[in-house]
Amino acid sequence: MAEANEQNKGASKERVGEQFEIPVLPLQNTTLFPETVVPLAVGRERSTKAVEASLATEEKLLACITTKTDNVTGDDAKPSDLYKIGALVNIKRMMRNEGVMQLIVQGMDRFEVKEWVGEQPYLKAKIEILPELRRVDDEEIEALKRNIQGMIQQALALLPQVPPEVRMAVMSQDNPVQLAYFLASVLDLGVETEQKMLESSTVDGLLTLTHAALARELEIMQIRSKISSEAQSEMDKAQRDYVLRQQMKAIQKELGEDDTGEKAEASQLRERLEQADLPEDVRKEATRELRRMEQLPQSAPDYHVIRTYLEYVLELPWRKSSEEKLDLNEARKILDEDHYGLEDIKKRILESLAVMKLRPDSKSPILLFVGPPGVGKTSLGRSIARSLGREFERMSLGGMRDEAELRGHRRTYIGAMPGRIIQALRRVAVNNPVMMLDEIDKLGNDYRGDPSAALLEILDPQQNNTFRDNYLDLPFDLSKVFFIATANQLAPIPAPLRDRMEIIQLAGYSDLEKLNIAKQYLVPRQIKENGLTNEQLEITDDTINRLTSRYTREAGVRQLERTIGNIARKVALHVAEGSKEKVVVDASDVKEYLGGPRFYPESAREELPPGVATGMAWTEMGGEVLFIEATLLPGSSGLTLTGQLGEVMKESAQAARSYLWSHAVEFGINPEVIKQNGVHLHVPAGAIPKDGPSAGVTMSSALASLYTGRKVHPDTAMTGEITLSGLVFPIAGLKEKVLAAFRAGIRRIILPYQNEADLEDIPEDVRNQIEFIPVSKISEVLNAALEKDVSESPAAGYLPQSADHQPEQTGERLIAKEKDG
Amino acid sequence: MAKSLNRHFHFLGSSKRAKPSGPLWLPAADVYQTPEGWLVKVELAGVSAEDIEIDIQGNVLYIAGSRKDRSCGGDVSYQQMEITYSRFEKTLNFPASIDGATVEHNFDNGLLIIRLRKGGAVKSQTS
Repeated sequence: MAEANEQNKGASKERVGEQFEIPVLPLQNTTLFPETVVPLAVGRERSTKAVEASLATEEKLLACITTKTDNVTGDDAKPSDLYKIGALVNIKRMMRNEGVMQLIVQGMDRFEVKEWVGEQPYLKAKIEILPELRRVDDEEIEALKRNIQGMIQQALALLPQVPPEVRMAVMSQDNPVQLAYFLASVLDLGVETEQKMLESSTVDGLLTLTHAALARELEIMQIRSKISSEAQSEMDKAQRDYVLRQQMKAIQKELGEDDTGEKAEASQLRERLEQADLPEDVRKEATRELRRMEQLPQSAPDYHVIRTYLEYVLELPWRKSSEEKLDLNEARKILDEDHYGLEDIKKRILESLAVMKLRPDSKSPILLFVGPPGVGKTSLGRSIARSLGREFERMSLGGMRDEAELRGHRRTYIGAMPGRIIQALRRVAVNNPVMMLDEIDKLGNDYRGDPSAALLEILDPQQNNTFRDNYLDLPFDLSKVFFIATANQLAPIPAPLRDRMEIIQLAGYSDLEKLNIAKQYLVPRQIKENGLTNEQLEITDDTINRLTSRYTREAGVRQLERTIGNIARKVALHVAEGSKEKVVVDASDVKEYLGGPRFYPESAREELPPGVATGMAWTEMGGEVLFIEATLLPGSSGLTLTGQLGEVMKESAQAARSYLWSHAVEFGINPEVIKQNGVHLHVPAGAIPKDGPSAGVTMSSALASLYTGRKVHPDTAMTGEITLSGLVFPIAGLKEKVLAAFRAGIRRIILPYQNEADLEDIPEDVRNQIEFIPVSKISEVLNAALEKDVSESPAAGYLPQSADHQPEQTGERLIAKEKDG
Repeated sequence: MAKSLNRHFHFLGSSKRAKPSGPLWLPAADVYQTPEGWLVKVELAGVSAEDIEIDIQGNVLYIAGSRKDRSCGGDVSYQQMEITYSRFEKTLNFPASIDGATVEHNFDNGLLIIRLRKGGAVKSQTS
């Protein structure tokens, strides 16, 4: 190339100084430079003629001159409008396209117009080819060239779109003049600058101009590139978000979660909000939340929190109640159908119903059923709901230890939910259900929280009309909810809570009641559940009695029902195997079905040795009979108590001993016996913890029997708390105790005088078979409990089997000592 | 969108679509080595033999001339023009000096064929 250029110089020189006439093409807004190839479009008539004239020559040469201003066109440009210096071009290609000539021309040499020859039909001038550019200072030229190349590199770095071949061509251009002319024709420098560059007669001048123009251009380019990249990055982010959101929508649609956009969702909620029957303050709050939600994008985490919240608010039964059936006869019928006995409770429910009928806006009662398992507390709740025609919702509070479970978490927490009360109300969708709070005595209570505190608000009819769940943070009226709590024991329920509820005690059932329940409910139900009919299975009363006494031990009837079910299943097997005969299960057949008896009830012992008395205990399972055994410990002095006794029981044992000691003579006891001997008191069964004051009279009887040698009547059981002054105080759970004692075969019961009123609770059949002895003092107890005769010497208690010598010796020795003293 | 923006800012090389070039037409050439010396073919259709100059300097063969449109003039007017009518120059480098080679050249179907034979005087000949 370099060689070619050198040759080129030589060749061009031939023309230098030559003058000739040539057609002139006026150019608007653009300047042609030597040694560049440029496309041109020619449409004006005069210009077209000039081009045609050029094409008609052998060498296809044309003079191109730029107009000084751009408001003259090729047709009316005068010589005075044109610069003097232009570029001589060779037309390399020409095509006509709808009247416009498309040219590709190649710049050859610079020329100067010497004389204008004509203006019509085209501009024509006599021109002179200008000589090669002079080089003034080679070093400066080199410096400028390198500088320009550096800037080109920078410019190309900002223009990644420039195709690689152009890059190559530019970067490899070594001839400074060619480089300058190329840059001048490529960059938009403006006609004036471009013309100056064309007119420059030295290489130095040309490069200086190019350098300045390029520097300015580069700066503009850098700023533009910065703007464009900023704009682009911003747009890129917006675009990226948009594309991702579109994709998410597509995915949601695919998952069937779409159908509503965020707008649709919000407007749907708004519509529901408008239609819902809400109290005014609730509507206000919900509308505010909805407005907040509408301003959030769907992707915001708060969006879903608010949506869930609003859905909760909308689904709650703020004003919706189920219609009340207030037919007292119907209610009584339902209660009787579902439950045998329980007259008190049925009466209480019917009373509440009557009040509701007379005063529909009255507050619902809050009941607490206390009783052993399996007596029907929960099913009673269900019957109440049925008799009232209300929804029934049951929740177990057993083991609950966080008040937030009842009252909910504040919405600020992630995964916050309303409490169980509000959740239950949403489930039943009415605000007057019968809500059963099961196992209220088994609420947890530790450092993690105290749910009973939350229950205080829920169960207070004065406050619960504005119950505020932490999640909802809106007052909800719970006063229409019929709360029923159940518990096995009263003691663990905190007093303030107990105070808010009407306590209804359900004692265990007597055998007769169990027999009736079994006949009326359990047997028919088990026959049905096992796919049998009354024609296939009959269970006799004797059988049921045997089942209650020998195969189950409970206050309720749950185990009894299971046992009946067991028999029914075995009969079902026979029937399924093809047996057509009716099976009648008699008491004697039970062993065949169920194996040997499971329980031998702690029955009254035939005979009690001195120092043993029969007591009665109340347990969660109902009542039980227990024996208190006392024996002398010669040589020691204290009172040893065993059988897992609690503090209260130990203290009442001490009180009993102290009382007997201080009144020894009165009861015919030799005080020396008490003084010289320690006592061991044991209450079987040893593995079961026992506590309570009601064994006081029993322990007094046992000790008195031991000291006096008078046996306790074996058919007599007793209960009552004692004081150190010898009084007998009333106790609780008399019904269970009496029923248990009756089951055990006891026919005489010593009870505190104040408990006499409780006897009314005891079923009549039991009551009639037992002799009750009300007492108010320990002396009366001992009179009733102990046999008149002294059967053995006082010391005999601790060595019943051994011969007569030792006890007598001990006795003599003791008496001797007394004499000494 | 970003693309159209970029197009907006992309001005280098697009405002005028000018390309750098030498001032001249450079015709294509093939060079063969033969047992006698060298064979050169140059694409020079439509060039008159009298318009061609050939020169040898050291190991360089220099061919120059111009193609002139002799059919123009009169009442004809171009509808389309793709053939370049201009001066041309071609410089060919050889691996060794070719000074003093015999040069024969003739036209064959629009190709200028030049034969260089070692030794002998430079002889210009038209066919």
